[in-house]
Amino acid sequence: MGLPNQVAEELRRIVGRAAVIDSANDLRIFERDGSIEGAMPDAVVLASTTEHVAGVIKVAAKHKIPVVPRGAGTGLSGGAVTIRGGIALQVTRMRRILNIDPVAQTAIVEPGVVNQELSLVAAQQGLFYAPDPSSQKACTIGGNAAENSGGPHCLYYGVTTNHVLGMEIVLADGSVHWVSGDAPDRVGLDLCGVLVGSEGTLCAITKIKVRLLRIPPSIATMLAAFPSIETASQAVSAVIGHGIVPAALEMMDNVTVGAVEAHYHAGYPTDAGAVLLVEVDGTAETTRELTAAIGKILTENHGYAMREAQTPAERELLWAGRKGAIGALGRIKPNYYLHDGVVPRSRLPQVLSAVGEIGEHYKLPVANVFHAGDGNLHPNILFDMRDRDVMQQVESAGEEMLRAVVEMGGALSGEHGIGLEKSAFMPWIYSEDDLGAMHRVKDVFDPNGILNPGKIFPDPSRKAVHLAGRTGLAIEAKWW
Amino acid sequence: MVSTVAVAKPSTADELARRLHDAASQKLAVVPVGGGRASGMGGAPERLDVELHTTRLDRVIEHSQADMVVSVEAGITLEALQHELAKSAQFLPLDPFSSPGHTIGGLLATGWTGPLRLRFGSPRDFLIGIRVALPDGTLASGGGRVVKNVSGYDMMKLHYGALGSLGVIVAASFKVFPKPLRDVTVSSEGGWDAADQALTMPVAPSALEIFSDGRVLARYTGSGDAVDRVVRDLGWPVEDHSIWERHSGRAPARWARIAAPRSALRGLVEGLPRGAGWWASPGIGVAHWAIASDTPSVKEVRARTETAGGSLVMMAAPDDFMRDVGAWGTPPPTIDIMRRLKHAFDPDHVLNPGRFVV
Repeated sequence: MGLPNQVAEELRRIVGRAAVIDSANDLRIFERDGSIEGAMPDAVVLASTTEHVAGVIKVAAKHKIPVVPRGAGTGLSGGAVTIRGGIALQVTRMRRILNIDPVAQTAIVEPGVVNQELSLVAAQQGLFYAPDPSSQKACTIGGNAAENSGGPHCLYYGVTTNHVLGMEIVLADGSVHWVSGDAPDRVGLDLCGVLVGSEGTLCAITKIKVRLLRIPPSIATMLAAFPSIETASQAVSAVIGHGIVPAALEMMDNVTVGAVEAHYHAGYPTDAGAVLLVEVDGTAETTRELTAAIGKILTENHGYAMREAQTPAERELLWAGRKGAIGALGRIKPNYYLHDGVVPRSRLPQVLSAVGEIGEHYKLPVANVFHAGDGNLHPNILFDMRDRDVMQQVESAGEEMLRAVVEMGGALSGEHGIGLEKSAFMPWIYSEDDLGAMHRVKDVFDPNGILNPGKIFPDPSRKAVHLAGRTGLAIEAKWW
Repeated sequence: MVSTVAVAKPSTADELARRLHDAASQKLAVVPVGGGRASGMGGAPERLDVELHTTRLDRVIEHSQADMVVSVEAGITLEALQHELAKSAQFLPLDPFSSPGHTIGGLLATGWTGPLRLRFGSPRDFLIGIRVALPDGTLASGGGRVVKNVSGYDMMKLHYGALGSLGVIVAASFKVFPKPLRDVTVSSEGGWDAADQALTMPVAPSALEIFSDGRVLARYTGSGDAVDRVVRDLGWPVEDHSIWERHSGRAPARWARIAAPRSALRGLVEGLPRGAGWWASPGIGVAHWAIASDTPSVKEVRARTETAGGSLVMMAAPDDFMRDVGAWGTPPPTIDIMRRLKHAFDPDHVLNPGRFVV
């Protein structure tokens, strides 16, 4: 394998000799992202400027070589995996915050800026960037925009696409464009809206203009224990049914709470069947009134051992437990396989019980930690990759869980993206015509298929679906 | 030869797709029609052979109260949908001008919004699923019925605001919202300073409108104590909610929408001809101008708006006025990409020819 020498030379002329990596040992670092499956790139290019990105894509276009934009590699769906080889286009050297405008409440950042870093810097002006994936200490805003990432606080604030005002992009022919900007109601088609969440299959992103929000004067974070996942789910529906949309509403099951508490000692009740983490923000009056109202609703729905963080440090600790939950699960098994299907909120108890049964059937421990308010599941199948034949079992269990999600009127992914791991299941929710319309968009932006090939759309030659392949479930279920 | 316009009023999505395909295969020009409330938007049609009405597609397909999700056919009016949602103390935060009578499909195609966008965003933010009839006769869906979804491309964004240039919207799903715990509107005569004051209160207003006579309307929603406190601190007189219904009824015969970065809006509005009638949402960056002047002044204002990074789009005007000013202004720099998308979905250019920028 490897790129032809001539191509590697062309790349070196653009980015400099040291910024092209093509020795087998060094490439191995770029074989994976945060998901299961890996594949070696033929070369990694470390871009530092928009011109670098444009130049590299021009070379790739000329030679029809796949090119896969890559940020921190924390993605959970194989979006950054070079499944057809080619060039991994690494943008983490593009990590400048170019501008923060405190009056307009906007920022312009390069794609390699780490999510949390933007909020830390913006905090000096009393502002923050709302989308907060659990990997926010490492993941990049470019990757977030490519995947349309979510996070706990997206329940109230919305996901990445609701906060991206405009982007500088590089198309498959190497041309550079700005799409959208900070004026509303722009003339023409909403290209920016289509490109956010396109998983690197339509363009590379080289600058992002985002909306910043004022840090609320008061934040209240509460924790409540419940006897079971069912009662906790009921409480979630009850809170929202009362007309209260908290900033975040997160659930952890007993397995997760045990691992988190052993690791963080945050005071999570380990005897609980499930724990809810609820946050509200606003003025002092708002948080006082809402915590009282929510506390009452949770109690009425079998909540107990309720407590509210009394200090910022205590709040941090509660969130550290939530955001670090998946790492803490390493205490149980070294590997995890994480899906992120979404169901209508009222179907949470049913789908979680199906998930539990599937885990038992395959004798695999499952830990649930997820965005309950959005109906966005995160079942973690825990395993040890060194166990014989376990991968097959894990994949089958994951597939059955997704199937259960779809059968309850859900979707394949709430915030992680389709990428490599779920592309085979797309026909479960979309008909041939639905996928055909999406493919028209792909063909307009990337007629030669060089941008992140093998993602989103099913590739029957690569991975077959084991479960019976009904198509277009959305239509069968008479959603329309 | 006098051309005759065929009028089709299909009662199912399948029938609509078939009628669209029939027309497209004969290269007949199709204009989709909803409630007709926004029909003044865009250039005059270059050709018009078939009017394809969505008004008989007017069902609520499913409203799941517990999930706060609703799916509707495109021809339902906003009022009929709100009536349904109100039964469970929910609502769609959409309050467009030129109301009542907008259809949901029309609102999605035109991208028209109103004052509540300040707090809730536009349908771009809460449209979670869409179904569209394409000129080749297929019906293509995107998104779904869950509030958070990254399964495949965001086809909602592709069609939202595309003025039916890529396909005819036949159904849509929305995330809906609970009626706020408290909802109070106050007013002032204090002009821009009052507007700034209301916008920077500790609780941000859900709607904030300023009018050319200096009047300001501010709407605060949320928890009772917080809203009461901010209303008390402002000290402005409380208004009846019917004031919003009257406001939504505004629909000048010659009407332009100025959209600009928020920081530029005041300057642009103050640069309107002396005595101009206008209203604006300074927190959003949108102003509406009831044009009493001639076309050169519209062109001047448009030039200034575009220099500031914004746009001036005609919402309604008599044909000759519209022709002279132009509906949209300078095409965006990415117009070539947009044209390629148009060609991929509507290769024979049968959908709304001449009305949109592609």
